[in-house]
Amino acid sequence: MIALSAAIAIGLSAIATALAQSRIGAAMAGAIAERPELVGSAIILVAIPETMVILGFVVAFLITALKTVTK
Amino acid sequence: MIEKMAKVEILGLKDIALDAIDVIHDLGTLHIEDLTERIGSMDTKRVSRMEMDPKFAEHEGTLNNLRAKVGDMIRELQPKVDEMAPEDVATEYKGIWSDNVEVMISRIQTMLQEVERDTRDTVERKSDLLVELSRLEKYAPIMGKVQPLADRVAKMTDMASIALIIERKYKAILNYLNEEISKITEGECEIISSDVDDESTAALIVFNRRYLKQVHEFLAVQDVNQVRLPSDLSKKPIDEAVGEVRARIAQIPSEIDEIDSRLVGVTDKYSVKLIAARNAIHDRLEAMDAVPKFGQTDQVFIISGWLPEPDVDPMEKALTDKFGNKVVMTVVDIREEHEAEDTPVALHNNPFTRYFEILYLLSKYPRYGTVDPTIVFAFFFPILFGMMVGDIGYGLIIMVLGWVVHRKFIDKPLINMAGFVMTIGGAWTIFFGAIYLEFFGNWITRWLGLLNADGDLDKYLLGSKNSIFKYPLDRIEGFTFMLAVCLIIGWVHMGVGLVIGIINGRRENNLKHSMEKGGLFAVLTGAMMIIAKFGMAWWPAWLAYLGALLVVAGIVLAGMGAGFGGAIEGIVGMGNLFSYARLIAIGLASVIMANVANQILLKPPMSGFGGIVVGILMFILLQTLNIVIGVFSPSIHSLRLHLVESFGKFFEPASVRYEPFKKTGGEE
Repeated sequence: MIALSAAIAIGLSAIATALAQSRIGAAMAGAIAERPELVGSAIILVAIPETMVILGFVVAFLITALKTVTK
Repeated sequence: MIEKMAKVEILGLKDIALDAIDVIHDLGTLHIEDLTERIGSMDTKRVSRMEMDPKFAEHEGTLNNLRAKVGDMIRELQPKVDEMAPEDVATEYKGIWSDNVEVMISRIQTMLQEVERDTRDTVERKSDLLVELSRLEKYAPIMGKVQPLADRVAKMTDMASIALIIERKYKAILNYLNEEISKITEGECEIISSDVDDESTAALIVFNRRYLKQVHEFLAVQDVNQVRLPSDLSKKPIDEAVGEVRARIAQIPSEIDEIDSRLVGVTDKYSVKLIAARNAIHDRLEAMDAVPKFGQTDQVFIISGWLPEPDVDPMEKALTDKFGNKVVMTVVDIREEHEAEDTPVALHNNPFTRYFEILYLLSKYPRYGTVDPTIVFAFFFPILFGMMVGDIGYGLIIMVLGWVVHRKFIDKPLINMAGFVMTIGGAWTIFFGAIYLEFFGNWITRWLGLLNADGDLDKYLLGSKNSIFKYPLDRIEGFTFMLAVCLIIGWVHMGVGLVIGIINGRRENNLKHSMEKGGLFAVLTGAMMIIAKFGMAWWPAWLAYLGALLVVAGIVLAGMGAGFGGAIEGIVGMGNLFSYARLIAIGLASVIMANVANQILLKPPMSGFGGIVVGILMFILLQTLNIVIGVFSPSIHSLRLHLVESFGKFFEPASVRYEPFKKTGGEE
């Protein structure tokens, strides 16, 4: 159950990040085609949803750490 | 830091306006203010935009034509600009430049005539040869395919043939042609085809010579691409023509080489002159373009703009020396530390911090009167980067690569800056690698015998497994400790941003702005005091309660400063703290990947020699991938933490960058 919880924590957040990044990435690719100077902002904007998967990873790691503690 | 600027107005007698513009252009320090809007809003009609006299406009047209011609010459001769000595170009530039535009135009025209005289024949001949080569190279494969077919036809004297070239995707049209030409020739026809390449097919239509005219007429109507040889080859038998085409294809490159060697001499002779002419034309046109931004009355010209404070005296001196009291410069207002939307911003940082101005590729400059955060970026960016990568081996590679890039690309400012930032990031990576005692993963701890049979850190050089502070600091086992460290770093990093926000508010005499930032800082501090209670049992409860009070007070203060938005920002700010968890999360992913690579090397998936080879290959592949990811991902996340979490708390972008009216040295 703990392993499943950890998998859900990282899995769902990774899917959410992927969906967000795909949309931002597509929009920014279009924007850069029009205005190449936006490439810097694009990198930052694409990186923003990564917070979700990073926090998901942290939670998953803490869940597995909990498993170690409760052993 | 942001350079202090002075707003100046230069007035002088109109008949020396162009000379005054030349002096200002030479000095290259004045950021021109376009007076169009100000003049438009004036009640008086005595001041108008400065206009070029018609003769001046005529010169502008001539200069534009010369620019196009010089550009064509440069494209044809392709001089090696990088290898030119700047002083040679400067000397030629002085020879071409003249305050009198007509003289300058005449000098450039004379030079261009010389270049044209020396290059006209060779350049035209080269161009013709390139066209011929391109055409023959197109014919050669087609003729090669048609030749064996044509040879057979040649033996039948009463038969004629026509060669066609067809796109392969329309190859089916050959069946249609066969049917139609069979009707025309009453069955005395055959089409033979062969693919030339992936895109085209060559076909030979063989038919009774009696129907030659009708077949030609039919093909003309069908708009089929017939292979027509150059006129000098068209009357020759196809095998002879093929031989000649091949011979020409072999011969033309040597003719082009010969022309190129002659052109090298011409290029050597004129390249510096051409580049200097290009620069001079560019600068002259830029000066002309600036004229409509100035103002004038019947007698006086008016130039308004901004100067960095140290450049005020040199400008005044240059104008006085040249024009005496016919031109007067007035310092309108020394802008110091107050809001100024239209003041252009120039940065003046020390040589170390200047490399970190690379940040402003992603962001505008900070607004005039606010704090320049370059130094914050220079301090925190490499630290956050190093903390995420944290490996002595990776750090050495990143540092060496960064330094090589920095030294190799001295003349390319952007890459040069990136190399330096990478070098400092690499140094911090080594520092944190020493704290984590990681060298390409867990090699050092393995060699020191600190790992157990499962590859986990079991022994410590300082402290024990249960100690809070121990060495080495294992990122996997000490995850929660590192998480706390990340939150503290986040508090400091965001706190610095908020303190700058408070200073900006004070500089702008905006108490509410300072209150908002102060409130946000109180919320962050309070949140940390509460979180500490969850992480450390010994943390006094009263400090946690005090933290709760600080959070509430901070939200109220932020709300008083910036309304409902400020209060919301206070709550969101607490969430921003957890964004710093990426400092450990990304590093953890990196170290686990490195350890997996090590594990594969030590325990390959196969036995025997094959296993060793696979293990080594997998190790190299994974470690390389890890280093590449280790450069990009932490860079982007460190940038993001600056631009979103920290700078987002205080940064106010400038609307205008300082761009002085100066001789640029030409367009690149």
